[in-house]
Amino acid sequence: MIRYTLPDEATIPARGLPWQLFDYALQRDALPGAIARGTGMPGDGSLPLQGALVSPQQCLQLLANTLRALESPDTSFMLGQHLLPGADPLLSAALRQASSLQQALEVLCRWPSRLLPLLRPRLHLADGQLVLYWTDSHGAPGLRAALVEMHMTAVVSLARWLGGRRLPWKFCFNRARPRHVEQHEVHLGGELRFDCQLDAMLLDARALSLPWPGGGAGAWAASLSAASEPAELPSLADALYDHLLAEVRRGPTLEGASAAFGVSPATLKRHLARYGTHFVAELDQVRTHVALYLFQSRHADNEAVADYLGFHDAANFRRSFKRWTGLTPALLRASLVT
Amino acid sequence: MAAMAGLWFVMTLSSRPGGLVTRLLAGGLAAIMLGSWADCLDEFFRIDKAATWDNWLEALVPFGMLILTAGIYYWRHEQFMLNDHLAKRERLFRQHRAFDRVTQLADAAYLRHQIRLEQERGPSGQCALVLLDIDGFHRINREHGSREGDRVLQAVGHMLLLNLRNEDLLCRYAGDRFALLLPGMGDAEARTVAQHLCGMVAMMRHHGPHGPLHVSLRFASEAARGDAEGLMARLSAAIDGTGQALAQAASVP
Repeated sequence: MIRYTLPDEATIPARGLPWQLFDYALQRDALPGAIARGTGMPGDGSLPLQGALVSPQQCLQLLANTLRALESPDTSFMLGQHLLPGADPLLSAALRQASSLQQALEVLCRWPSRLLPLLRPRLHLADGQLVLYWTDSHGAPGLRAALVEMHMTAVVSLARWLGGRRLPWKFCFNRARPRHVEQHEVHLGGELRFDCQLDAMLLDARALSLPWPGGGAGAWAASLSAASEPAELPSLADALYDHLLAEVRRGPTLEGASAAFGVSPATLKRHLARYGTHFVAELDQVRTHVALYLFQSRHADNEAVADYLGFHDAANFRRSFKRWTGLTPALLRASLVT
Repeated sequence: MAAMAGLWFVMTLSSRPGGLVTRLLAGGLAAIMLGSWADCLDEFFRIDKAATWDNWLEALVPFGMLILTAGIYYWRHEQFMLNDHLAKRERLFRQHRAFDRVTQLADAAYLRHQIRLEQERGPSGQCALVLLDIDGFHRINREHGSREGDRVLQAVGHMLLLNLRNEDLLCRYAGDRFALLLPGMGDAEARTVAQHLCGMVAMMRHHGPHGPLHVSLRFASEAARGDAEGLMARLSAAIDGTGQALAQAASVP
């Protein structure tokens, strides 16, 4: 049985990410009372108590308050610059001692809920290309764009700091071209594409193993073994994504998923509603991601993808894909090439 | 009437810095308040018409009006001086609009707008655009905190402003990148200007909390022609390229 947490359960140490957000807002002269409203953080702007926890929902509220109070297009990027190596002592030491991008990403993807509790990084390696894409851990559609900017900047800036150079990342965004595109250019890089179906960063896989000057493989391994195995329960959105990704070829259903989670279908529906989503939307998202992956790295045609995802024929798949993304597979493939 | 004058008195004192004008305005209002208070006193109490203190108090109203008039006269003078003072900043910045909070410079949207305006004004005229970027700014932010980073940005902004003509426009493009619009300037001339600016900033001594910080700039420039967004993207790529070359040169001993 897969266990999971819901967005209103207090799971995030208040001295970690929430304090980073709070502290940044205070440095920029925001009023502590306005930032702390509805977030469980101390209203006088003082450091929260050791061991205090806040829920993901409160953390997202804190981010929303900060963005609204500072009202500046660079807030999410500046927050991102300070996000990593993070406040967790063992894991931030492990990140600092990483001797290549590969080791750093390994740490990130193994302990996402302790380092990046709001957005889950997912790493794919195919055809000599690294794809790091981001999925929502707690369902915050209104903050999605800011979260993506923040987390992408965090990874870019960590790699630049520890590696000592800018890497030639390419970026895809699942959104229209924003007005403040200059922030993306300066904080991320010039290779930007908008209106993609996925929030992802791409890099030549050879950059993964470039040595980082400050790294020490022995110290890195020691920090890793000191950091206990990830014991945190995943959020429902993350757990469901993983489950659907594993089951995608077998035609996953709501009943099947709820059985795997040990709850009734009605309960699962109700829990998903708290993220503002429903089962079919989640399933469609996973199938879109799988189709994109097959198109991009396997250069698969419609027949092959339809077969892989368990559709009867390619026409059926084509119709469904149009419904998921608003684009036909052919149009999408054309946009991948350019 | 007395209550109103009292309210104006309090508002004047709380909203204006001290000085002659404030004293005159507040004094005039106070006199009007007192006079009209005495005026309304005899509505309620029987006061002898010959009582001199009451007559004197009532005479305060026209006297207060005189003082108030003198105050407003000097206020007008003060405003002219202020306008004169602000005019230089306004010309430098061109308009109060879309300011970045840290550096008080205009932002990228305003720059794009100005580029378009400049192109409409004289499609054949020369105009250059320079992008300036602080070397290793992310390291300053990491090692000294974003507050120190902000101070560096302010210092560089001031330094650049001091070395510009009145018709030039300096913007904070984003992050540690400044953009400079130089109307009427050719490419070679703009390059010289940019080199001079880089030299001035390199000469600058910035004092951080842990001793002096060395700040240096690099630049890319181009004639401001064509679509503004494409132009900015090209310049950004060029400046990233020179940054890359610098980092590689630094890593090879």
